[in-house]
Amino acid sequence: MAASSPHLSQLVNPLVSVDQLASSGSQLDGVPSDLESSCIYAGAQLMQIAGILLRLPQDIIAQAIVIFSRFWIGSDGGSLREFGVKDVSLASIYLMVKLSAYPKAPRSVINVFGYLDSFHSTLGDLKGHVDTNNPESYYVSEGTYVAQRAQLTKMETIILKVLGFQTHVALPYNICINYLQALDVFVDHETASHLAKRAFAHLNSALLSPQLLYLTHQPPALATAAIYLSAKETGVKLPDAEWWEVFDTDREELGFLVVAMISMEDFVKEENVKWENRKAPSTLIEMENELERKATANGHH
Amino acid sequence: MASTPAATPAATPKTAIKPLDRTFHGSTSIGSYELEQKVGEGTFGEVYRAKSRKDGEVYALKRILMHNEKDGFPITALREIKLLKMLSHVNIIRLEEMAVEREKGTRKKATLYMVTPYMDHDLSGLLDNRDVHLQVPHVKSYMLQLLRGLKYLHNSHILHRDMKAANLLIDNKGILKIADFGLARHYDEDVPKPGQGGGEAKRDYTTLVVTRWYRPPELLLQLRRYTTAIDMWGAGCVFGEMFKKKPILTGKSDLNQAEIIFELVGSPNDNNMPGWHTLPGCDGVRAWDPQPGNLDKVFGQYGDDTVSLMRQLLKLDWRKRINAIDALKHPYFTNHPLPSRPEDIPWFASSHELDRRNGRDGRGPGQAPPPAPAGGTVGGGPNAEGWAGKGPPNGSSWEGNGRNSRQPPGSSHPPNRAYESRIPNEIRLPNETRVPKAGPDGRGAPPPPPRRQPWQTDAPPVRSASHLPPAPPEGSRHPLPPRPDPFIPRDPHSRDSSHAPRESSHPPRDTRPPRDRDPHRKPANLDSYVPSYSTGGRRDDRRDDRRDDCRSAEREDRYRPSSRDGRRGSRDEGRRRLNYDDVDNPRSRDDRSDTGGRDRPRDERPRDRDHRRSRTRSPARERTREREREKEHRDNRDVYRR
Ligand SMILES: Nc1ncnc2c1ncn2[C@@H]1O[C@H](COP(=O)(O)OP(=O)(O)OP(=O)(O)O)[C@@H](O)[C@H]1O
Ligand SMILES: [Mg+2]
Repeated sequence: MAASSPHLSQLVNPLVSVDQLASSGSQLDGVPSDLESSCIYAGAQLMQIAGILLRLPQDIIAQAIVIFSRFWIGSDGGSLREFGVKDVSLASIYLMVKLSAYPKAPRSVINVFGYLDSFHSTLGDLKGHVDTNNPESYYVSEGTYVAQRAQLTKMETIILKVLGFQTHVALPYNICINYLQALDVFVDHETASHLAKRAFAHLNSALLSPQLLYLTHQPPALATAAIYLSAKETGVKLPDAEWWEVFDTDREELGFLVVAMISMEDFVKEENVKWENRKAPSTLIEMENELERKATANGHH
Repeated sequence: MASTPAATPAATPKTAIKPLDRTFHGSTSIGSYELEQKVGEGTFGEVYRAKSRKDGEVYALKRILMHNEKDGFPITALREIKLLKMLSHVNIIRLEEMAVEREKGTRKKATLYMVTPYMDHDLSGLLDNRDVHLQVPHVKSYMLQLLRGLKYLHNSHILHRDMKAANLLIDNKGILKIADFGLARHYDEDVPKPGQGGGEAKRDYTTLVVTRWYRPPELLLQLRRYTTAIDMWGAGCVFGEMFKKKPILTGKSDLNQAEIIFELVGSPNDNNMPGWHTLPGCDGVRAWDPQPGNLDKVFGQYGDDTVSLMRQLLKLDWRKRINAIDALKHPYFTNHPLPSRPEDIPWFASSHELDRRNGRDGRGPGQAPPPAPAGGTVGGGPNAEGWAGKGPPNGSSWEGNGRNSRQPPGSSHPPNRAYESRIPNEIRLPNETRVPKAGPDGRGAPPPPPRRQPWQTDAPPVRSASHLPPAPPEGSRHPLPPRPDPFIPRDPHSRDSSHAPRESSHPPRDTRPPRDRDPHRKPANLDSYVPSYSTGGRRDDRRDDRRDDCRSAEREDRYRPSSRDGRRGSRDEGRRRLNYDDVDNPRSRDDRSDTGGRDRPRDERPRDRDHRRSRTRSPARERTREREREKEHRDNRDVYRR
């Protein structure tokens, strides 16, 4: 049982097993894997935006996204036909925020998600998507609120159970700064801060990766890859030696992560095209509709 | 995602990889435990002794009460589970798993239990057992184990923040384990280093921690940048308690707590507590009668090395207070008699802090001292003769005096019982609780509020006191004092203006001066785990209400002996309050600004009962089962799911 080896350093994450990656509740329930990826990506993206609107520090948003991503993986993970993406993302944010130094009322979180609901899409450029002059479109009535809060508290417990009550998430951001310092890149501040920003941007994007990088790799490897890639992009010269070895990352892993981080751009573009002007299903009903639509389009009926 | 090469997880060889652990998934059902009797009552609910049907072992099941359905899963439990899952040490209680109780056929929410190995005693209960006489080697052994646990905790960047005898569990093999991580938190500073005490902290933490009798002077004086040294102070108190068989510093108020501390170890000056005069002070009091301290007198009989270690642990200067690493090297542990090996400590009949309370059931206040606690008369066990028997053990007389109840330090005050038996000097009705009222001099006894839980923010209390078992009365030998009071006086009307001074128009509710007015109390980057929302409107009123309840709850249990959880309240209110009213966070500002006017429930009267109806899960159920079947079929090597 879990407790037989409970020791878990605060700097280390539990990672998903090969088995857990091989399948998921959603796939077992007949959700095509590309649709699954879209939904989870959209959910994570929604959380990122909601987190910003809630004025949360990025590390809390990141932890919430990791929790959210963990929820869906593995054959005993949550299924998209059992739980709506929106409910899970909302509850994940609420849960991690509760554990943080920036607690928010359920009402705040629900309001923000209600506001984002009024967008035609939460992907791509958000500006054109909302009619800010029409508060009616995102007003959360008392009745709706009460129902959603009930759903939220219920979902919170489900998430906890699915995750085996493991809410610890280690992140690569601090490590990234430490490594940059160790690599002596801060001598020249201009380029260094550019490099650091770039690296953080990659770490943030990687949160949304369909390859679930935060679930498959430890923070040091993520930080190392982000630094490697950003250094290449900004033309900062790093030591010739295999410096990543010092940071617990071997060449193979580094290579994999760098490629995965580079591929984010194309993935996001594709998603934006795929879901232009509409949203990936975020509720159970939307999911069923989407599955039906797909089935019809494929001429199964 | 499915396109991910599955080989990646294996690619980090240097860090121990733990698979995403879902062992708790679909957690063990409560059915695999045979519930026996209740052994403890905590903030979250009761602790039961239970036998596992799987392995026949005995476990303790702590029920997690869903206090506040509105806020969801209780934060203290969440935190405790999170921390316990990260810790692994012989002197720290181990979280085995979570057990789920689902009442069939009802829509009731599932109840969750934290499962830990059953421990026969908590130290408080043990010491209170008249038939138990610890000998020096046993005290040394417990102390050693406590310090080892603390060393591990502190080295893992964790502050316990609720050191006290009742939170130290002891099994029948003599092993001591630190329990109750409901107030613990991650410590952002450097870990203690040999010879350097607790070091210094760089950030602020909430001072609303630690049960009063175990609260160190720097916390009483409102130091926010405290360190691991706060736990060391508690260890010192526990050390003394093992000799005296009762808490050694039993202040009746925070101020009195400070006074009796200074009586014992001397009053603060620039030598023994540099920087003391720059601290906000205790209830506004910042000057203290000069006192030389009488530690020698009080503990001298137990030997010089005892006094020496005690002095190190009860050092006023938190920077110099000995850390666990160094305390373990203190000669006390290498001087004769040597610490016993845990397994050599005799077996005692099980005793828990709750026993004391239950043992006094039905008695009024101010009555004779309690009879031997429930477990007390059993005594015996393999080594019973000689020292679990009726008299002091052969050849150990050091503890003799303790029996005669020498008054604890600070004996200018009446012994506990005297104030326990005081009665309310004013009765207040429920609706009045929001109106701050203090005693005539601002320090007198506050009237007891109705017994409302802090989380009961509106509507009639869901769990009204009358549905609960009768209150254990006051008068037990040492009911614990409250945890600290996180009250933030606020003027609900100024809520919308972030510039308005928060509680300007309110006189302090408490008998204490409103510490919270002190700007020091609210820097922006404080720690808090707790949702304490200020969303405006009525809700705020209720929150104040809640706060008020908790504030006075500490008095209540002193002055109203018949209240349901008398002592329990006194021990727990602090935590409850902390749960919901932890002052250390920036959100009070945040929430007000971030979602603006929308973020204001105008009325939350409709209680969310209906969430229960959404628990029809049969289709999902079916799918789950299907899935499980398929999965088992496909792959039964799956480790994380056993
Ligand atoms: N594993 C255990 N074995 C035996 N008794 C236990 C165990 N865990 C807890 N208890 C008993 O239950 C009491 C309360 O447990 P604990 O301190 O963990 O709960 P809590 O809710 O944090 O309580 P409180 O707030 O009152 O300190 C303990 O003092 C102890 O007597
Ligand atoms: Mg406790």
